Amino acid sequence: MDMKIHEQSEVAAAVEEIKVHSRENKISVKDLCAYFGKTKVLKNITMDIPSKKVVAIIGPSGCGKSTFLRSINRMHEVVGGTITGSILLDGEDVMKLDPVYLRRKIGMVFQKPNPFPTMSIANNVVAGLKMNGFRNKKALKGIVEKALKQAALWDEVKDNLNDSGANISGGQQQRLCIARTIAVNPEVILMDEPASALDPISTAKVEELIFELKKDFTIIIVTHNMQQAARVSDYTAFFYMGELVEYSDTKKMFTAPDKKQTEDYITGRFG
Amino acid sequence: MERHFEKEFEELKTTINKMASIVDEQVESSFRDMEDAEARLYKSVKQRDREVDAYDNLIMAQCENLLALYQPVASDLRFILTAIKIDSQLERCGDIAVNIVQRVKKTDNFRELIAQTDLPEMAKITRSMVKDAITAFINRDLELAKSIWVNDDIVDELNKKIFNQLVEKIKANPEFAEACAHLIVLTRQIERLADHATNISEDIIFLIENEIVTHKKKLQDFQLPE
Repeated sequence: MDMKIHEQSEVAAAVEEIKVHSRENKISVKDLCAYFGKTKVLKNITMDIPSKKVVAIIGPSGCGKSTFLRSINRMHEVVGGTITGSILLDGEDVMKLDPVYLRRKIGMVFQKPNPFPTMSIANNVVAGLKMNGFRNKKALKGIVEKALKQAALWDEVKDNLNDSGANISGGQQQRLCIARTIAVNPEVILMDEPASALDPISTAKVEELIFELKKDFTIIIVTHNMQQAARVSDYTAFFYMGELVEYSDTKKMFTAPDKKQTEDYITGRFG
Repeated sequence: MERHFEKEFEELKTTINKMASIVDEQVESSFRDMEDAEARLYKSVKQRDREVDAYDNLIMAQCENLLALYQPVASDLRFILTAIKIDSQLERCGDIAVNIVQRVKKTDNFRELIAQTDLPEMAKITRSMVKDAITAFINRDLELAKSIWVNDDIVDELNKKIFNQLVEKIKANPEFAEACAHLIVLTRQIERLADHATNISEDIIFLIENEIVTHKKKLQDFQLPE
């Protein structure tokens, strides 16, 4: 898509509006371009992520939304991606931060639940902490309980904490992964299609959980499910062919988007 | 490849346009019946009402299906919400057309009374309001939809005026009391018809501009209790 200059300025205006309306921005992205080899997969993305809000990223497959998500905690580097432009976390350039430290601050939940199969439920929750040398048993026990409660899983597993993390349902496994992410006390949680492999009841639980989590965390969620984006997020960004087409208040996005392209996408007329 | 949603969405549009055309004809016929004693359109208006009722049910089923199966958003969702509301307005318009021919039939021997009031003028304006509302909906014509509101105030004034004219007629000629009572009801029905046309125009504004204008004036300084 060739985005005309006036359209780009409209996107910039909407982005500016979100910046003004949010009291505090957790993440500021400016002129972000991402490459895999010579292929440019993100083109000059500029947007702010408000603190303790949920931002949904939508767009057709290949539009760059997962790359955008992964750029934020530098996971794109793991698969050979490079970026230009800047991503600031509380004003700090993420490219200058230690990746391990960065990923502790910005946790990630993936599409497919991926608990460590040989570890117990409790050990799954505190795996990150233990890997970082945290050994205080009493404190770890408290963290397990707190993280599982925050992930709305405690009541379901509190009597089986020593069972394998692989022996619970898919929905429970995904909430276990969320508990594992929370346990290291991040500030931002990135979610890449967190409910796409789950049944409707588990999906509803994860969505309810997102509502709860935004009290404490800033959340960015990539989803193909339009209704999910509409339900869980405060702001929605529509990506197409590596460009940010529209970024606005979710209610506006799903009732009266500014761009015809956004309307065509959310109503299923293309993509 | 045509999507199921597109196909069913187009079917809904076709159904509501068909219903609107029938209602338009019903209203046209009912006013012709009022103006022309020889028209004798009572039966045809009444018969067509069954079709309108059947379309009413069909539109509800189509909308329910689209909402349940496709979870539409943005302009698609607005169209379906508008279809539900306009369907109900059109169904009431059809009922009113039947009421008009019924009242006209009951006053058949006193037709000259109609001409002695402003009823023909009120009927003419209301007829154009309904026609404009239906045309504006079919053509998505925002300006035409907005133009309907002005006439609603004129019809309200005529309603009051005709009521007084008929009351005076009863006072002067008590033998016309029953016929005048039917005409007062008829006047009220026509006023309701104009209201439905206005409601349709408000729904069209919601459809096109995503703005809820219904009750806007009345609710200006009103807040729902917490």
